[in-house]
Amino acid sequence: MSIEDATVYVVDDDISVRRGLERLLRSAGHRVVTFASAREFLDRRDIASPSCLVLDIRMPGQNGLDLHESLAADGRDMPVVFITGNGDIPMAVRAMKAGAVDFLAKPFDDKELLEAVRQAIDRSSRARRPSPAPRSTPAQREASGS
Amino acid sequence: MEAVTSRRLSSLPGRRVTTNRSVLPSTVRIAGTALLVAVVYYLGARVGEQLRFLPVTTSVMWPPNAILTATLLLTRPRWWGIYLLAAFPAHLLGQPAARPSTLAMALFVTNCSEALIAALTVRSLSDAPGRFDTLRRMAAFIVGAVLVAPFVSSFGDAALVASFKGEPYWLVWRTRFFSNMLTELTLVPAIVVAITQGLTWLQHASLRRRLEAVGLALLPFGMWSLVMLAVEHSSAFRASPGVPLALLLPALSWAAVRFGPGGTSVSLLTTVLLVVWSGSHGSAPFSTIQLAEGILALQIFLIAVGIPLLLLAAVIDERQRAQHALRERLSFEELLSHLSGAFVHVPARAMDAAFESWLRQLGEFLGLDRVTLYRFSRELGEFIVAYSWSGPGVAPISRVSVIRDFPWLVPQILREQSVGFSRLDELPLEAAREAETFRRRGVRSNLAIPLVAGGRVLGSLAFVTVTSEREWPDELVQRLQLVGEVFANALAQKEAEEALRSSEEMKSAILASLASGVAVLDRHGRIVEVNDHWARSARDGGVFGAEVGVDGSFLGACWKAALDGVAVAREAMIGTESVLNGSRTGFALEYAWGAPGAGRWLALSVVPLKGPDGGAVVSHTDVTERKHAEMDAQRSRQELAHFTRVSTMGELTASLAHELNQPLTGILANAQAAQRFLDARPPDLGEIRAILSDIVDDDKRAGEVIQRLREFLRKGESALSLLDVNVLVRDVAKLVSSDALIRNITISLDLAGETPTVNADRVQLQQLVLNLLLNAMEAMTESGREHRRVIVHTRLTEAPAVHVAIEDGGTGLRPGTEDLVFEPFYTTKQSGMGMGLSIARSIVEAHGGAIWAANNGTRGATFHFTVPLTRAKTP
Repeated sequence: MSIEDATVYVVDDDISVRRGLERLLRSAGHRVVTFASAREFLDRRDIASPSCLVLDIRMPGQNGLDLHESLAADGRDMPVVFITGNGDIPMAVRAMKAGAVDFLAKPFDDKELLEAVRQAIDRSSRARRPSPAPRSTPAQREASGS
Repeated sequence: MEAVTSRRLSSLPGRRVTTNRSVLPSTVRIAGTALLVAVVYYLGARVGEQLRFLPVTTSVMWPPNAILTATLLLTRPRWWGIYLLAAFPAHLLGQPAARPSTLAMALFVTNCSEALIAALTVRSLSDAPGRFDTLRRMAAFIVGAVLVAPFVSSFGDAALVASFKGEPYWLVWRTRFFSNMLTELTLVPAIVVAITQGLTWLQHASLRRRLEAVGLALLPFGMWSLVMLAVEHSSAFRASPGVPLALLLPALSWAAVRFGPGGTSVSLLTTVLLVVWSGSHGSAPFSTIQLAEGILALQIFLIAVGIPLLLLAAVIDERQRAQHALRERLSFEELLSHLSGAFVHVPARAMDAAFESWLRQLGEFLGLDRVTLYRFSRELGEFIVAYSWSGPGVAPISRVSVIRDFPWLVPQILREQSVGFSRLDELPLEAAREAETFRRRGVRSNLAIPLVAGGRVLGSLAFVTVTSEREWPDELVQRLQLVGEVFANALAQKEAEEALRSSEEMKSAILASLASGVAVLDRHGRIVEVNDHWARSARDGGVFGAEVGVDGSFLGACWKAALDGVAVAREAMIGTESVLNGSRTGFALEYAWGAPGAGRWLALSVVPLKGPDGGAVVSHTDVTERKHAEMDAQRSRQELAHFTRVSTMGELTASLAHELNQPLTGILANAQAAQRFLDARPPDLGEIRAILSDIVDDDKRAGEVIQRLREFLRKGESALSLLDVNVLVRDVAKLVSSDALIRNITISLDLAGETPTVNADRVQLQQLVLNLLLNAMEAMTESGREHRRVIVHTRLTEAPAVHVAIEDGGTGLRPGTEDLVFEPFYTTKQSGMGMGLSIARSIVEAHGGAIWAANNGTRGATFHFTVPLTRAKTP
């Protein structure tokens, strides 16, 4: 499975950021779909695989962390790269515990983003193959425990 | 005599209120009178014994009855019993030893009955039983005492004498009747007049009158001597007693014409005594007459002559007094009319001299010793000597004397009552202090008239005699009350003029004390009066550099300055003109004058003069210091505002970083994508062009954020501009949107449909909205997610103003702190200075609006403020 086959979903309320990321990811050969809000993304039912999600944390309405958690709760688990305007440590910890691939503070270098996306897609590709003991994310544990 | 207390004419015309009688201990007085009555009664009886034409035993005249009558006429009925009892021992003492005591006692009863009948009848008929000076009084006396009393009492006498002595009843009655008639007629008026007027006459009669009286007294004796001579030498005189008696008439007529009832009665008594005495002593011409009948004829003759003569004397006296009174009234009225005219056109400064002059004229006219005008001082509650005149040889009253020694008199004067006394002993016991004071000052009689004008007592006029006692008859009191009214009006006029003068002086003092230049304009804008400050500042450049003083035209000065290019002078001219013509109720402006920086700030205000003549008052004040203070305060306010803005920005740092991060992130991603696209073979130039365009937009967007921030933090003068409050609210909401995002708060806007345009300071208004938004967001730190919502409403009100309401879903205000939250340093937060809302309030107030806060019905609070849509003044 090549990286080129994978789809990168971008959720960010800011159009500049969305357009910049879309171009950057496209220039690296990714297929890119952008969304302006968590709601828009959740409404999209046909999520390709392998794929990854580049998710802004601060958004009006449902924020990035919430979206991530609700995806996990729905069993639509997918690798996530968080991007945020003001990365504070507690938030990053929470994101990583929830199974995020990476946590990038805006503005970020293209190499960092592309590397994080690549890892995420890798993880997504591996996830598609049946795994004898699927690793559960903290979010899943939380969900099952609740 | 009685002390006089009169009310003011206007309140109780012509009435006299009697307050007191003599205070001389009445027991002593009555005992003395009783003793006198007894003595005179006894002497009268002895004289009566002598007046007999022997051998006829009946007296031609019997004085005791008449003496009792005179006593009763002169005294009050309550003491009559005492005087009559006092006469009883004298009566018994005077009785012949041979007479039975029962008869003597019974005769006393009839004597008393005659006197009682006489006194009672006269009292019922006459208005003054002790006086015979009018026809009516004399007639009352003649009817009561001369006719009725002898007529009635003689029946009792006759019955007694007839039963005890067996004399013929009617003969006795006739003898007694005529004898008593003659005695009453001649003796009573003589006694009464001698007692009531004798002393006064002796004191006051001129030398000529005295000589005339002596002549009158000698005349009957002279005539009688002639008659005696004639009787001896001529049979014509012996034939009838009528002829010699007729010779006595000239003296009686003289007395009637010249000496009134008093003189006539004395003269009549003298004549009768002369005739009876000579008759009873056997002198011609009566020695030859048939005794009993002759005596009767003599009595009838004397009565017939006496009655008309007394009546005639009363008539003449009455007429003379009427004429005298008329003359006196005329001259008094002349005096009064001069007096009332005298004060009409007297200027205040000449008033004093006029008062002094008129006190003198009054005193001289009335023959008084001193006339004093007291003014009542309401502050001191006392009467103070204002003007006084004293006659020649009379010590003047002390100028500083204050009449605090009159505790009885002063309250009566204050009740608008006149108080007078003719003799010190007329003062009642309550007036002991007064009596003592008057005695010390040598005052013998006094009349005090209240001076009343405009319903209040202004003072008192005191008429005083020190050399003699004086009576104050009603008529005189009434006239002097008229004089008092004239004086009172003059006094009121003087007081009014003094009040006017002192109000003028006060006005001048106030004007002089003002730190502003004040000029009074007439309706044409001409200056009619200026205060010292105006005059001084006129020399220092005046208004708009124009030196304009009294008689100069203020409007002209403004016009000249306006022509010289002083814009504010034109404004002042138009404003002043509109105040003068009544189209504006006032006008004010402030302007700077002189070199910038070193110049002065001046305030000009014009208010209309509300009066028939119109005009206005211009005040011109140097307000430089106030202005500097205001500017300092504004600078401090701006510095504080700036400081709080800076600190607000500190709070917003995180959201601002986010705000800037977004375009920067876009730029970086786009630029790096472009680099990658450039590496492609062939490079996708279309893509790159689109990227560059986005980069430009993002860069601009980042620039805008910076710009907004810089504008907000700008430190500067307030500058007014026309602002759309909706746009402003939207901008500020954008400024805090990142912060809201971080705090998970939704800000929604509910803006007015119409454009609310205000003339306001943009930065200040932004800060106002920002502070309120941040405050709303702060309030929701504890709120659950569903309540984290701020709604900003803008509405136009009817005022017209824009009403902005910022509604939060926070904890709300603690009850009672709705107004407190706007106080400086009031805070409920751990961090924070508590200045945000206080600054918000000062901004709103500087824009002429209002700010308030209230809890919402369900949750949270709403902060409101208004800013007027049209603004005329600089905040």
